[in-house]
Amino acid sequence: MTGMERVLCALRGEPADRRAFTLALSLYGSRLSGCPTREYYSEPVRYLEGQREVVRLMDPDIVFAPFALPFEALAYGGEGIWLDRFPPNVRKPPFREHGQVRPLGDDLLRSPGVAYLIESTRLLAEEFGPDKAVCAVVTAPVDLPAMLLGIETWLETLLFDHERAAHLMDLATEHFLRLTGACFAAGASFVAVPVMFANLRLVTPALLEKNILPELARAFGQAKGPLVYHHGGNRILDHLGLYSNLPGVAGFLFDPRDDLAHARETLGLGRLMLGNVNGPGLARMQPGDAYASVSAILANRAGDRNFVLASAHADIPFDTNPDTLLAVRRAVVDAGAVA
Amino acid sequence: MTEETPMGLEANREALYALMLEAEREKALAMLLDHARRHGFQSAVSEVLEPVLERAGEAWLRENLSLAQGYVAGKIAEDLLVAAAEIGGDLKLDVKGPVVIGNVEDDYHSLGRKMVAVFLRAAGWKVIDLGNDVAPSQFVDAAVEHGARVIGASAMMLTTAENVRHLRTEIDARGMGGRVQLAVGGAVFKLRPDLMQEVGGDGTASSAIQAPELFERLWAQSLEAEGA
Repeated sequence: MTGMERVLCALRGEPADRRAFTLALSLYGSRLSGCPTREYYSEPVRYLEGQREVVRLMDPDIVFAPFALPFEALAYGGEGIWLDRFPPNVRKPPFREHGQVRPLGDDLLRSPGVAYLIESTRLLAEEFGPDKAVCAVVTAPVDLPAMLLGIETWLETLLFDHERAAHLMDLATEHFLRLTGACFAAGASFVAVPVMFANLRLVTPALLEKNILPELARAFGQAKGPLVYHHGGNRILDHLGLYSNLPGVAGFLFDPRDDLAHARETLGLGRLMLGNVNGPGLARMQPGDAYASVSAILANRAGDRNFVLASAHADIPFDTNPDTLLAVRRAVVDAGAVA
Repeated sequence: MTEETPMGLEANREALYALMLEAEREKALAMLLDHARRHGFQSAVSEVLEPVLERAGEAWLRENLSLAQGYVAGKIAEDLLVAAAEIGGDLKLDVKGPVVIGNVEDDYHSLGRKMVAVFLRAAGWKVIDLGNDVAPSQFVDAAVEHGARVIGASAMMLTTAENVRHLRTEIDARGMGGRVQLAVGGAVFKLRPDLMQEVGGDGTASSAIQAPELFERLWAQSLEAEGA
């Protein structure tokens, strides 16, 4: 079976020759190809070369377009930070005041960083598309204002200025739909959306239910392809029921601390679940520990056809031992077929 | 000023906690000001606000409190301190410390630092807040100038948390290790508990609400290190 076929089996709940798996090895491609990170995150061809090395090493069923959300904020201005061995970041939010934030329209897609994201997605889809799923990663509309104005200003606005918050979420939804549309047009099989500000560890229950979930539903419902709800760095199991009926969501990627068996009870049979290897944690794991940890996850989901083994949180760190990554793959292969 | 009955105090605390959870900042301030008018600002802080913040801290540790609710708690505390300063009264401010805080070089994520400043001030600490993007020498110069025994360094991401190492080096290079304790905090330290020691911190707290307890401990460690 091809990687794409395994992923489709997981989506449809059909048997497969082995468990579909992926790790967020977006950054790791720069290590494997020896490409300096600044060049890697500027030239789509260099990114593709790095992902070829990822496929050579790991042969995952899903390949990742650049996991570089800060490019979305940099499209509006501001200054990037470029460090060796890390993805690019934003030095500080581009805006200090709400009134300064203006929609970019199609200029969003023409900004250098976003154009790079889309072209990298296109190259990946062209090279791997028929055989592997291509996952693009896009900022959630409820999180974009935090990147544009800073977490404090966004939190203050959400809590105490509902009119401005709604205006900013309108802008963010337009951004989200434009960018996800471009990713799907470039060949992305699905888009993973890390969501932070729809979590009760960040916002109040009232904000979540009255302001945030309706906006997410509006944005997700208009997306031009399937979305994966990424846990965004926090547990989501305890309020998963609130998200489970969001439109456009093909699957949920869980936090390593979320109990997958309980998640299945909440979601019911037939919904796609992904998770929940601690991606950044692999950097501190010996291969044997990684093998045991992944095997435990696979054993937990042994009878679950609608499950993809995937890393949670952010990218796999640059300094992760390749033998640790290979141990993950070995655990997947050793677990055998999905009956 | 009259003394509040234990039952009345408990009811006020319950009411304030509920208002904080519902992000009812203005109502919370009105309630505290009403208490302060009858019993003084010191009572409003130490008998109502502080126990509520302590409860909020415990809820945070159990992951039963959101960032937004913690933020509202900070805003309520800040509103009360501002009102106390404007109106005047019996509240004892700046009776501990001073301490120096700031975001490390290249870090502009100020939310956590600002919340730490509010909770420290509410607990009576004098706080010298250096703001964002603070160079190691600026931290240590300020500690020397103000006689601070604790420096609080905030960093949100792994990339900027690495800059705490330079601050550690600066403290040690000036022979101030032990006397000047280094508190570190920020989202990345919660995500990677080993990081505090890796970058040379002397202590951390899981949230801004717990900062006063951490700074008390580090202040005591500083005194101990000097044999005071």
